[in-house]
Amino acid sequence: MGDMEEQQTWIAQSRNGDHAAFAALIRAHQPMIHSLTYRMTGSLADCQDLAQETFIRAHQQLDSFNGTSKFSSWLYRIAVNACLDWRRRETRRSQLHDQWGQNQTTESSGANDGAALDELSREVQAALMKLPEKQRAAIALTVYGGHNHAEAAKILGCSETTVSWRIFSARRKLKKLLSKIGDCHE
Amino acid sequence: MNNSELDAKLKAAREPVLPADYREDFPRLVLAGLRSAPRENRRPRRLWLPRLAWGMATAACILIAFAIGHWHGLAEAKAGKDALANTKFIQETLAMFPNRVRAIVQDERGVNLVLSDTENVPASTPIYVRICDGKNCSSLVTFSGQEIQIAGQKLTVLSQPDGGIILEGNRFVWSSSEPVYAGRKLKIEAKNLGATTM
Repeated sequence: MGDMEEQQTWIAQSRNGDHAAFAALIRAHQPMIHSLTYRMTGSLADCQDLAQETFIRAHQQLDSFNGTSKFSSWLYRIAVNACLDWRRRETRRSQLHDQWGQNQTTESSGANDGAALDELSREVQAALMKLPEKQRAAIALTVYGGHNHAEAAKILGCSETTVSWRIFSARRKLKKLLSKIGDCHE
Repeated sequence: MNNSELDAKLKAAREPVLPADYREDFPRLVLAGLRSAPRENRRPRRLWLPRLAWGMATAACILIAFAIGHWHGLAEAKAGKDALANTKFIQETLAMFPNRVRAIVQDERGVNLVLSDTENVPASTPIYVRICDGKNCSSLVTFSGQEIQIAGQKLTVLSQPDGGIILEGNRFVWSSSEPVYAGRKLKIEAKNLGATTM
């Protein structure tokens, strides 16, 4: 990601209709957005759709970004909201998630620890999908996005206490769900 | 399992690797999506339209409630007398609810107004009908074609071109040209209120 100054320039230029500048912003932020949308959906196809939707929404709402927070936090917030709106595509998600899981197993079957990791990956993602969406978002932002509770609270638009409680609840459920798997791979 | 162990397990879970060509094409995909996405409508939304509709509906309800209240005041003032014999009262009532008055009924309970939900009552010569069943008498002013409940009878009131009136009930048909038979003990009187036409 470019430095803050460069990013501010891209934002200003994007506001003036410079698509090349917006493409630069996309390139800088797409990995983190794809990661979040995948953790929220568990589906590669939906993760890609939601990442695209996030950047389209961001472009449409660019005028509302006032610079008081980091651009990445603002973008995360759009992505989380897009994911929370994603419920209507849940049926498709479950189908594609199963399909992806099968594909991954097949593709990685040649690697010894690759297959084991993929099994763990599938189990972890399946456990994440059993969490309520807001708890899942809190875990995605803190564990995978590296945000502290205060930052996650800003992104999610709730209090730090709420985030802490969601993470506490999510951890309790995840421990139960994941206690029996993956021990042999640690 | 403690939190650190859980975090380690969560972080060990890989994400699917996005194909390189997808990653390279992604900004272009988004920009293409932007071009095809409906442009955000920056014009102020016409929030005043639904508000205006609600306002008008509320005003109409208040007006109707006020008119009915006013009408009841008029009706009560006339109740002691034969309200339906008062041409001015009928004119005022019809003017207050144009094309909505199906009937003005006067019976032992007082004067009641039967209104249509919409302005679908055709303007025509009002018809006065009085029915007595031996004990009680009810009278009404209505229009040709209206189906009215009066004195326990459901009647369709019809006006003939020659000025005659036909009352068609469930169990009888009464005609002003043959006023003798009205079935059972009903005594019926009906006439056109020509001068009252609005």
